[in-house]
Amino acid sequence: MKEIRILLAGNPNVGKTTLFNTICGVHQHTGNYPGVTVEIKEGNRQHDEYTLIISDLPGTYSLSACTPDEQVARDALLTSSPDCIVQIIDATNIERNLFLTTQLMELGLPMVIALNMCDLADKQDILIDTPCLAKHLEIPVVRIIARTGEGVDELLNTILHETSTKTSRSHTKVPYPPTVAAHIAQLEGYLCAHTVLGGSVSPHYAAIRLVEGDEHLYALIREQGCTLPFIDSADPAERDGIAEDILLARYTFAEKVAACSVQCTMGRVMPADLIDQVLTDRIFAIPIFLSCMWFAFQLTFSASNPFLVGIEKTFEYFTSRISSVDMDPFMRSFLSDGVIGGVGSVLVFIPSIFVMFLILSILEDTGYLARAAFVMDRLMHSVGLHGRSFIPFLIGFGCNVPAIMATRTLQSKKDRIITILTIPFMSCTARLPVYVLFAGVFFGTAAGNVIFFLYVLGILVAILSAMIFRRLVFRDEPSPFIMELPPYRRPSGFAALVHMWFKGKEYLKRAGIVIFAGVLFVWALASLPVGVEYGSAQSLAGIGGHLLEPFFVPLGFSWQLVVGLIFGFIAKEVVVGSLGTLYGGEEMLQSSLAADPSLKALSESLVI
Amino acid sequence: MVPLSMSRAGETVVVSTICGTGYLAKTLGQLGIITGIELEIIQKAKESVIVRIGESRYALGAGAASMVLVEPLS
Repeated sequence: MKEIRILLAGNPNVGKTTLFNTICGVHQHTGNYPGVTVEIKEGNRQHDEYTLIISDLPGTYSLSACTPDEQVARDALLTSSPDCIVQIIDATNIERNLFLTTQLMELGLPMVIALNMCDLADKQDILIDTPCLAKHLEIPVVRIIARTGEGVDELLNTILHETSTKTSRSHTKVPYPPTVAAHIAQLEGYLCAHTVLGGSVSPHYAAIRLVEGDEHLYALIREQGCTLPFIDSADPAERDGIAEDILLARYTFAEKVAACSVQCTMGRVMPADLIDQVLTDRIFAIPIFLSCMWFAFQLTFSASNPFLVGIEKTFEYFTSRISSVDMDPFMRSFLSDGVIGGVGSVLVFIPSIFVMFLILSILEDTGYLARAAFVMDRLMHSVGLHGRSFIPFLIGFGCNVPAIMATRTLQSKKDRIITILTIPFMSCTARLPVYVLFAGVFFGTAAGNVIFFLYVLGILVAILSAMIFRRLVFRDEPSPFIMELPPYRRPSGFAALVHMWFKGKEYLKRAGIVIFAGVLFVWALASLPVGVEYGSAQSLAGIGGHLLEPFFVPLGFSWQLVVGLIFGFIAKEVVVGSLGTLYGGEEMLQSSLAADPSLKALSESLVI
Repeated sequence: MVPLSMSRAGETVVVSTICGTGYLAKTLGQLGIITGIELEIIQKAKESVIVRIGESRYALGAGAASMVLVEPLS
C-alpha cells in the first residue's frame, strides 16, 4: 500500500486541529500536547488504496518563525519533504491567511488549500469564488467544514490527485519589484550551481527567504562555508529596505487575490466588537475573569466528584477481597498496599485532570482564553511576566507538569524561564489532599479558609519570586504582548473530548508511571526487610527517617513526617498515602497526626 | 502622529510608522500591521489596545502599542 505524507499548515485558530481530528479520528499519537498544539501530532487514515500519514503543524502566521512552535512548523516544512502541503484557510478571513500561502507556494511542493468554516462565511454573507481563488493561486481549493466533516472526502481525493500527478509543482509567483526579483534570481542561480543545503530546500524558496532576511537559513548556509552574492555584500539598511519590499509585495498580492475572489457585504454590525468591549472592559474584565475561573474550578470539582467516589469504592472492594483471601501476609501487603494503593493513587487524580482539560479546551475554543490573556497582561506585566504566561499558570492549578509544557507558546526565553520557575508555586490538585489533611488536623472547622489562603499564598509567593527573578536575574522587560484574538465560536464537543482524551492520556503516561513507581517504592521501604511490621521504626523507611530526623528537629518534624517530606519530592500524590502507611492506616491518620507529640505542640502554638 | 497607546477607543487610524526593526516589527508585520494599513481601535485599557483590521482582531500590550505610530482619520 502506498503511503502519502501530508503536512497540515495554517494560521492559528483556523480549525487545523479540528480538521486533523476529523480526518484521523482516534488514529493519532503525539509527543506532547500542552495547552495549545505545540509539538507535531501524527495520525493516519486509509483512503482508497493509500495510507495517508498526516502531521498537524503548530499554527503559524509565516515561516519567519518567531516563537518556538513556529520554528517547529517551519522546520517540519523544510526538512520532512512531504508529498503534499494542505493549508487550512479561515473562509471568514481569507486575505490575512493568504500571507502564509505566499510563502508556502514558494516551497514548490504539491499543495491543496482547504477553505474551512465555509458555513460561518455563508452566515456572514461572505461570497467566495473558489474557482477564481484556485486559478489565481494555481492551487486547488476545496471548501470544507471541519467541524462536521463536510467536504473532507473531496479534500482527500484532491490531495491524492495532486500527489499522483507530480512530485513538485510551481504555483503562481508573487510579483516582486524588478530589483528585488533580480537579487532573488542571482541568488537562486548561485544556490542551484552550488547545491547548497544538499538539495533539501528548493533554491527558489531559499533565495527569497535569504533576501527576505531569514537568519536561520543564512546561518545554515554559512555553516557550509559559502559566501553568498548580495547577502554578504549589501549594507544592512539596503537589506532591510528589500525585506520590506518583499513583505509589501506579499500583502499586495494577498489583497489582490482576495479582492477578486471574495465579496462581502459591508456595513453590518459586529457583535464580536461589542462582546470584546464588555469582556475586556476596564471595570468588568477582572470580575468576569474571576467568576469564569471560579465557575471552572467549581465545575471541575463537582463534575469529577462522582467519578472519584466510584473509583474509591472500587478500590475499597478490591482491598477487602484481598484481605479475605488466605495468602502470605507479605504478598497480601504487596497487593493491597503496594499495587492497589499505587494504581489507586494514580486513578484518583484522573477525573479532575480530565475535567479540567475539557473545560480549558472549551474555554479556548470559544475564544475567551485569548481575551483573558489580554486582561491579565496588564497585571502580569506589572510583576514582570508576559500576558501569555497566564494560561500555563492556570493549568498549573491542575498539574504543574502540563503547565510547564505549555510555556512553549512564549516567544522569549527569559519569559519562559521565569514562568517555568514560578509555576510550581501554584497549588496543583495533588497538593490539595496534603492541605486537607494538615488543615483538618490543625485548624478543625477553619480548615476551608486555611486551604483557600494556602492557594493565595502560593500565588503571592509566585508573584514575589517572578518580581525577584525579573529584577535580579533576567533584567529585561517582558517581551511585547501581541496576540490575535480569535473570533468567538461555538465550541465543538467532539473536538473538546478528543483534546481532553489526548491531554489526559499524556498526563497519565508521564505522571502516572512516576506516581505508581513512587508508591511501590514507598511500600518497599516500609515493608523491607522482610518480616518487619509495615511502616514501623524497624523498616527501611523508619531507619532512614530516624537518621534524618535530627536535621528536621528545629521544624518540629517527627521521623514519619520526614519520610513523607522526602517522598513528596517524588510526587506530591504519594505524601498522604505514605503518611497513612507510616502512621498505620489512613483512617487513623488524622487522629494519629493530632496525637503526635511534636505536631501537637506545633498545633497548639498555631491555634494560639 | 501619535503612538497607538495614546489614541482613543472607537477611532479609526492609519499606521504611519513602526518603530524599530527587531522582533516586534517582524511580529507586527506578520499580522499585517504595516505602514499604511487602517486600524479600528475596539478597546483601550490604559495603554493596551485591541485593534481590528478587516475581520481580524489583535491585542497589543502597552509596550507594543507605544511602538506603533498612527495618524487618526477624521
